[in-house]
Amino acid sequence: MIRKVFGKLFSRLVKIESDKKCDPETNLLKDIENLDLTADLKANLHRIKQILGDSPDVVIRTCRIGWKQEICLAVIHIDGLVDKSLVNDDVMKALMLEVQMVDRKENLKGKHILESIRDSMLPISDVKNVKSFADFFDSVLSGDTAILVDGSDVGLAVSTRGWKSRNVEEPASESVVRGPRDGFTENLRDNTALLRRRIKTPHLRVEAYKIGKLSRTDVEIVYIKGIADEKVIEEVRRRLRRIDVDHILESGYIEELIEDAPLSLFSTIYRTERPDKLAGGIFEGRVGILIDNTPFALLVPSVFAEWIQAAEDYYERYPIGSLIRLLRIGALLSSLLLPSFYVAITTYHQEMLPTVLLLSISAAREGVPFPAIVEAFLMELSFEVLREAGIRLPRPIGPAISIIGGVIIGDAAVRAGLVGAPMVVVVAFTGIASYAISGYTASITMRFLRFGVMVLSAVLGLYGVMLAVIAITAHMVSLRSFGVPYLSPIAPFNVRDLKDVFLRAPWWAMFKRPRLIGHNEPIRQDYFLMPRYFTDEEDEPVHERRDHDD
Amino acid sequence: MINRKDKWFLSTAMLAVLCLAVLFLPGCWNNRDLTEINIVTALGIERSEDGKILVTIQVVEPAAIQSTASGKGKGGGAQPKPVFVLSYEGETVFDALRSMLSQVDKRLFLTTAQVLILGERLSKEGIVEVLDFFQRDHEVNYEMDVLIARDVTPAELLEIENDIDPIPAMYIKKTVENTVSRAKVKRTILIDLIKELSKSGRQPVLGQIAKAGKKVVRTEGTAAFKNGKLIGWLDPYATRGFLFATGKVKSTIVNIPADGGKISMEVIRSNGNVDVKLKNGKPVKLIVKVNLEANIGEYEGERKKVSPDYLHKLEKIFGEEIKKEIGRAINLAQKKYSSDIFGFGEQLHKFHPHYWKKVENNWDDVFSNLPAEIIVNAKIRRTGFIKNPIMKER
Repeated sequence: MIRKVFGKLFSRLVKIESDKKCDPETNLLKDIENLDLTADLKANLHRIKQILGDSPDVVIRTCRIGWKQEICLAVIHIDGLVDKSLVNDDVMKALMLEVQMVDRKENLKGKHILESIRDSMLPISDVKNVKSFADFFDSVLSGDTAILVDGSDVGLAVSTRGWKSRNVEEPASESVVRGPRDGFTENLRDNTALLRRRIKTPHLRVEAYKIGKLSRTDVEIVYIKGIADEKVIEEVRRRLRRIDVDHILESGYIEELIEDAPLSLFSTIYRTERPDKLAGGIFEGRVGILIDNTPFALLVPSVFAEWIQAAEDYYERYPIGSLIRLLRIGALLSSLLLPSFYVAITTYHQEMLPTVLLLSISAAREGVPFPAIVEAFLMELSFEVLREAGIRLPRPIGPAISIIGGVIIGDAAVRAGLVGAPMVVVVAFTGIASYAISGYTASITMRFLRFGVMVLSAVLGLYGVMLAVIAITAHMVSLRSFGVPYLSPIAPFNVRDLKDVFLRAPWWAMFKRPRLIGHNEPIRQDYFLMPRYFTDEEDEPVHERRDHDD
Repeated sequence: MINRKDKWFLSTAMLAVLCLAVLFLPGCWNNRDLTEINIVTALGIERSEDGKILVTIQVVEPAAIQSTASGKGKGGGAQPKPVFVLSYEGETVFDALRSMLSQVDKRLFLTTAQVLILGERLSKEGIVEVLDFFQRDHEVNYEMDVLIARDVTPAELLEIENDIDPIPAMYIKKTVENTVSRAKVKRTILIDLIKELSKSGRQPVLGQIAKAGKKVVRTEGTAAFKNGKLIGWLDPYATRGFLFATGKVKSTIVNIPADGGKISMEVIRSNGNVDVKLKNGKPVKLIVKVNLEANIGEYEGERKKVSPDYLHKLEKIFGEEIKKEIGRAINLAQKKYSSDIFGFGEQLHKFHPHYWKKVENNWDDVFSNLPAEIIVNAKIRRTGFIKNPIMKER
């Protein structure tokens, strides 16, 4: 029903917008569509200059080469996107010296100069032919160097990409104590390399897309062929192809444009900065989506259980990983429900509290002029504001604000008699608990829902809290992410997959991949891998092993 | 044929109605903030001489509690009193409680009440009438301890304030609770009392509370009831006998004589049950069976070492001592009060319902005239012996 109402609202808005009829970018792009390079170099250059304009970073170098300087060609690249030394030392040198030498011996004039340059003179591995202006601009504007020769209607795009990019650093939003410390960067190629370093199977597939009419952002989907469900891959492809926006700046754009439940508060696509997490997902049979210019990668299909799984659960020994996961479930629940429980119990169900506790809460609330719900909202909102300010603040004043905020929230509010001390404890614990959940998106959702539950608890007491929980659960059950039920393996229930939900089973017990995700190739590993003692008579199962030396 | 738009409207309307029903059906609920209630910790009920009900309440001032808790040991300064006690006379309990609002500011919140003290005069005239309110009201805590005030009025007891606990009601409740390690008072919570009153074959027994000094109470002994009316008291030893017989002793200290001194036995485990022996369809004997285990807790005798033979002898003496206590309780119940507080009748009701139907109405007379057999099987488990006693062997 909500979907219906919102959908109607949105479509109405869209209709009003589209009535205005403004679509400048399609006009912009029309002039290079279906336009091929011609054999006339001058005409080509003229057109290029016309389209690119008079930008100072566009380098167009025309030169005459060959023994008698009879061959006319142009080298075009964007300054800053190319590796200057590569262009100068390899491309230009080859063109000027190599061609001269070969021309002297064989007299290239009139022959297929471009083919000879490509095939035998250019000492660079990645060289492509470009035929249309669209291809030409795609290459040049991504950092390739284009070579156009007079008399040929085909150009060469030489890969000379090389720009300043950030080093591989520890991901800021998902740090671990034990585990790899490298994180994705803004450079797509570095990111695929990080992934390749973890997944060396030849079945790893990377498929490239360019999305965004103006931004032409590189988007790549990665998966292991044979493990990932073909239908899911096809669905990802279909949804990516559907995207027709003018720019993509971050993975969030893609996420919003392809997710299953665009109106839900719950995110049905997992996002991570950690290559090991992405690789883990891909090994399970999921599909990763890497986007250029952002360190955040997407992972589909995503289930709710991922909210309580952290990378470290898998690196620490399994009892510890399991216990920490239980703790995280507690944190998840309390970040959603704790303030509402407090409000409900202190305003409706005082009889549930032991008398001594009731007395101390009551003593702390003595003289507080607001009802519990106002108190809770006051504290929760000020905590949210403080948190938000903490992110936006310039780094040098951060600590000062957090100290002032802490003092105001923690102490001054209590002393001024605006709130009771137990509420401060509740809010503080809730605030901290919301960060114990793995995944920032999840904690935002929980924080948002918390306010709704609080209102219900103030109106209906614990009954309202229960209603809210039921409604949230019902909503979650209705969600799907690329065909996989959001609450699986809890609903639909699957005992086998529970090994990685509330507890983390030891690695030697993880025989099979998640049933709904990796069903293409369900067997992950051999049974009986638990370390044990082998007697001499018993043969230890030796697995085929390829040694590096022989 | 319903078209799509109507269908959508219908389903939405249906959903809305269901949602509203969900909101209003769950019954009574109301919102009251913690700052809008008076927390009642104890209730006292007594009947005034002109037949009205005198209700006394003890209300806590939470803020004062906190200041007494944090300001402990500081001394000086006029500290606010942590509780106040109010009495009001009304026709019924409910009437008195409501009318009391003319003297206090906020609503009375009864769920936190820890103890209910019933006055002696009220108890003698019957407690069934006043308990009706507690069965009807939704805010009553069924786990509060019910006690009978002996020789004092409930109001006097509730006004006692001392330094043991800032809330007198809590202090009283804890003295009742610690009966698990002394077994000198019967602990009865409200719900059990209500159940026992409506049961045939067992008369209720309630704990007894008295003033032991200016600022202290003593919860020792019990009050025996007959048909909802207080009929008499059991002294602490008879109380213990009663508790042994009904299997309610957790731990207690029993003193027995030894060679030239005394021994304190610490009962560590005990179970007891009562039964009625029938012959030819007629009850002939009341049987009380008690099995218990004890340790030697303190020894003031002459012996240095305890031999197994001596221990067996001690066990016998110990058993006799307990038999004496139980006998005393049974004697009181049969001869003096003629009230079946042990629940012999209940056994009959359970296992011989046909006979019980015949005898139900004059069971008290039948019960009073039956001989009683008490079987005590006492075992001494540990001597608590680490080193030879420092006492010289005389």
